[in-house]
Amino acid sequence: MRNRLPRRVRVLGLLVVALVATPVVSLLCRVPWSRMPSLLTEQVVTDALLLSLLSSVLAAFVAVTVGIPVALLLSRMEGVLASVTRALIMLPMVLPPVVGGAALLFAFGRKGTLGSTLEEVTGLVLPYSLGGVVLANAFVALPFVVLTIEGSLRSLDPRFELAAASLGANEFKTTVRVVLPMVRGSLVAAGFLAWARALGEFGATITFAGNIPGKTQTLPLAVFVAMETDQEAALAMSVVLILISLGVLLTMRERWWPAR
Amino acid sequence: MASAMNDNRPTLLDAHIVVERGDLLLEVALQVGQGETIAIMGPNGAGKTSLLYSLFGWLPLRSGWIILDDQTLDSPAEERPVPPHLRNLGMVFDDGLLFSHMTVEQNLAFGAADKLVDARLIELLDLSTLRSKRVQQLSAGQRQRVALARTLAAEPKMVLLDEPLSSLDPSARTHARELLKSAFRSELAGALLVTHDPADAFALADRVMVLENGKVTQFGSLSDLSAQPATPWIADLIGWNFFTGSGKNSIVVLADGTEVATSQSGLLGDVTVAINPGSVSLFLEAPVGSPRNNWRCEVFDLQFVGDVARVTLSGVMKIRADITRTAAAELGLRKGLGVWASVKATEVVVQGSERSN
Repeated sequence: MRNRLPRRVRVLGLLVVALVATPVVSLLCRVPWSRMPSLLTEQVVTDALLLSLLSSVLAAFVAVTVGIPVALLLSRMEGVLASVTRALIMLPMVLPPVVGGAALLFAFGRKGTLGSTLEEVTGLVLPYSLGGVVLANAFVALPFVVLTIEGSLRSLDPRFELAAASLGANEFKTTVRVVLPMVRGSLVAAGFLAWARALGEFGATITFAGNIPGKTQTLPLAVFVAMETDQEAALAMSVVLILISLGVLLTMRERWWPAR
Repeated sequence: MASAMNDNRPTLLDAHIVVERGDLLLEVALQVGQGETIAIMGPNGAGKTSLLYSLFGWLPLRSGWIILDDQTLDSPAEERPVPPHLRNLGMVFDDGLLFSHMTVEQNLAFGAADKLVDARLIELLDLSTLRSKRVQQLSAGQRQRVALARTLAAEPKMVLLDEPLSSLDPSARTHARELLKSAFRSELAGALLVTHDPADAFALADRVMVLENGKVTQFGSLSDLSAQPATPWIADLIGWNFFTGSGKNSIVVLADGTEVATSQSGLLGDVTVAINPGSVSLFLEAPVGSPRNNWRCEVFDLQFVGDVARVTLSGVMKIRADITRTAAAELGLRKGLGVWASVKATEVVVQGSERSN
């Protein structure tokens, strides 16, 4: 049992919760529920929805895959080097996504540092393509992935590695068969975080991959456009985004805070 | 039999270790014979665990060498030390450190050379009913048995054990000690056992190395230590009662004919037993029930050290008992008073170095 909170604190807390809920509720009040089926089956909307789901899942997958070695590396680093590396990895979390998208263009654009070589060697052009959407989404999601996995790796008892080594396992076997399975919870959590971040991504995507309906126009971009042209469609798509986000938060609640 | 085995064993481990860890400078020279078990004891922070880690290559040597079974693991002449996983050293931790995402079977097979865990090992450590269980379903004692089996299944040249029994309650501890003893006898080329319990050292080890503040302060048999303790810490540790006699199945008969009941069976020939003064209880009336050792004695000497009353008894059994000051007052202990001294058979530790085969 805990002490009862002072009345003033309770009232203030509930007031803030209500204030946060107001925009969501106001939005839900404006939704033309009877027209939802027809709104959601419009070509632009279904395209955006499918594109969003596809690109966000792929981006989460990419972010976790490339995030694992980075997190392993970071979890072994100490001192200034660790701080600098971690700051670099976390940069996309703090940076305005538009800046991130612009930076991606300079790196992976057709005239970019890596992009021109990439096109020469593989013929792959990332900007203004589905690949570009995935790259932009993975880029902004990576910090969440690395932080989540690194924290879990650091709290893993290092003696497990010693135990594995004492059983003859080399570093690779130890990492793949012992360390990563033991932090698998954080890998799942990182995947969901990355996916949630990617699903709402706007700035980096529009800068790097553009806003081409049916090709690179994800749900957030479609909502943004629809706000100018067809508010009811915008509301319908917003409802979908809200439901998906709430669903993820509720399923993952035990990962992020202890269930009551 | 017993003592002769210490002498002419071929060397299994030859190590000279100088390691710095924080404020601690650890300097240890250590030779372990084939088949020998050495207990490492010492106060907290003396460097016991650091010694194990440095043998493993987890702590870099500042100088010195490690040679295991004629293979040089580390020495000043070596370019690079042999990495931990190629050292053929097994390690058993205080809390077992089983891999919780695997079943018992998968844990056992993890290091097993041929992926088939020796049936003898399963039988020896009584694991047949546990094999398909998940680690979370095991008790502390079961975990330690699995941890030991997992280590032995990898067929190491030598096993390092870091307080392997400390997470167990007293009854499980006695049982686990017996299992360790038989495992050491049948499976092991040699072992280093870090422990804080003289009972472990006495039952399992041929020799005891005492580390204090990074240095070896005494290295010999436990009875050597008790006969001539080199430091106050050792003197305090080894306040134990030691008796020699001849084994007759589960009984040890002392020279004067007094019988000591143990929880062992099949004892034969010369046997040494040890009894912790803390497990001797005193009564004014003859105790009834329970299979115990009860001896009619007299209080020969009585000293108070803090909250503890150290009682030296004479009579059929010359034994020392540590009881609480309160208990001593309730019994009205004084020199010359007749009392019954009582010890459970399971509290009588039988020396392990006698290998009766």
